[in-house]
Amino acid sequence: MEEQTLERTVTLGSKSGLHARPAAIFVQTAREFQSQITVAKNDKSVNGKSILSILTLGAKQGDQVVLKVNGNDAQTAVKKLATLLEEDLG
Amino acid sequence: MKILRGTPASPGLAIGSAHTIRPAPPVDIIARRTTDASEETARLEQAIAQAITRMETLQSAAQGATADILAAQREMMDDPELKQGAIDLIEEGFKAEAAITRVATSYAEQLASLPDEYLSARAADVQEASRRIVAELQGVTLTVQLDHTAILVAQDLAPAETVGLNPSLLQAIVTETGSATGHLAIVAQGLGIPAVVGVTDALFQVTEGATLIVDGDQGTVTIDPDQESRAKIEQRLMASLQEKKDLEIYRDRPGTTADGVHIEVFANIGSLAEAQKAVEMGAEGVGLFRTEFLAAQGLPTEEAQYTIYKDVASALQRPLIIRTFDIGGDKPIPGLDIPPEANPFLGWRGIRLALDRPEEVFLPQIRAILRAGATHDVRIILPMIVAPDEVELARTLTEQALQELEKQGQPARRVPIGIMVETPAAAVTLDQFRGLIDFASIGTNDLVQYTYAVDRTNSHVRDRARPLGIATLRLIAQICRAGIPVAVCGKLAGDIEAIPLLVGLGVRELSVPPPRVPVVKRVLAEKTLGEMEKLAKQAIKEY
Repeated sequence: MEEQTLERTVTLGSKSGLHARPAAIFVQTAREFQSQITVAKNDKSVNGKSILSILTLGAKQGDQVVLKVNGNDAQTAVKKLATLLEEDLG
Repeated sequence: MKILRGTPASPGLAIGSAHTIRPAPPVDIIARRTTDASEETARLEQAIAQAITRMETLQSAAQGATADILAAQREMMDDPELKQGAIDLIEEGFKAEAAITRVATSYAEQLASLPDEYLSARAADVQEASRRIVAELQGVTLTVQLDHTAILVAQDLAPAETVGLNPSLLQAIVTETGSATGHLAIVAQGLGIPAVVGVTDALFQVTEGATLIVDGDQGTVTIDPDQESRAKIEQRLMASLQEKKDLEIYRDRPGTTADGVHIEVFANIGSLAEAQKAVEMGAEGVGLFRTEFLAAQGLPTEEAQYTIYKDVASALQRPLIIRTFDIGGDKPIPGLDIPPEANPFLGWRGIRLALDRPEEVFLPQIRAILRAGATHDVRIILPMIVAPDEVELARTLTEQALQELEKQGQPARRVPIGIMVETPAAAVTLDQFRGLIDFASIGTNDLVQYTYAVDRTNSHVRDRARPLGIATLRLIAQICRAGIPVAVCGKLAGDIEAIPLLVGLGVRELSVPPPRVPVVKRVLAEKTLGEMEKLAKQAIKEY
């Protein structure tokens, strides 16, 4: 598979925004992929595999975040991670 | 032989060897490494891996809200940015301990500055994660774990630190700080483990493995006891063992007076472990589930609360009365900003705080309880009530929550609602609550404190309060005349002298720490209801 960069803007679905539990689920899933993953809100872009960085975004339900994935498994990663962000993870 | 004195926090006697838990020294954040960078990085990576393994063991023993907190902390230890940040600082010349503490502190500050209260409370989790990694670097054990029976000697024990403890291996607890009514005391009483707190210098005096006698009634700790003291202790242990055996016959029978009037004997609990203890001791239900312990690390989510209430109710298989959060200025909750108060006991606490901040405090809890009510016999009790309009508001909110749950298709059920009678205002006007509440429970500790205007934590005036004084007893008599079923869940409910008076005044349920349940049943069986009524009448001096 060839390396590619994919970007998607998603609206956060979790009631509590990116609180510890949804953030942990996201980070754990992100780590299953080799691709580099970043999540950005407004102008701040952070490592999607780092729970501390994700938490510092302070993202709430309904906020728009930009998911950017770069690597060999970008296609699958972006699909799975975007779905996670849109779902209500509690 | 040497005798140390402290505050008795949980009754009982134990002899055993000491397991000391020494607090980690503060981290020097400007410390430079003396090794080369790659060696220091390897040290850090190993420490992180060890901290994670240890945390996973802890997690498997934790439940509910504590489990969620530990999971978050574990995830933070494993954070690639945290690690990389620390490695960068190591390259710059810092020692691993200093590097990780600096990076963690910077994240903690970023989190603390977020407007979202929940997220800013996670700052404490980053600090704790880093503290645990530093402990591994320094070879200090933070996790309290016992693999053999022992007496724990510590500076203090946080709720999270008591999670991994196996109660059957824990013989007694000795701490340097803490009070007779603090968290640790209540946990120890619930588990029936002797405890002495406020033993200044305990860690300085006690060496690891030393033989100790802990007397939780007297509040003494004897180090390296001589032959004579040992023999005395063995004798007393034998006697208390015999007493325990004698009490076993009361375990499986309901509480009744000598003439067969049923008085319910319930238990006060604060955790799942205590719920199990309550069943083991033969409690007929739980009269007081103190939920504020679940909030020690911040208010738990509705989902986390639902899980705990359901787990506790399943373990009990008998009525469970859940007290809504009784929090306020005297017990700070991470993530919940309550301004400091000059008089927290007269301040913004209990139902007052809950009703003023319903979205945050009251509703998630009520929803969780109503949902647990779909499958179990759970009931709600509201703390710090002074007037009926507070109950009306709480009821309206509860009805709204119920309708919302129904709309969302969540199974839930309307449950009985009662109030804590712990203010003189509620005590003398309880009849005004008729039709609004299903039951009432007297919190005697607070009622006595508010009646005699005595702060029970102030040693200068503490003894001026009279738990069994005429003022207390007359208030209880008045409460019992309101035509509402009355329970007592404060300290008096387990007091041998008080029990016949309370029942004689009309109390029909006593709720006590689990290990006290059989004792209460024995005391109840010693007199007839008529005899108790006569005693009560004499005691209140109303002829």
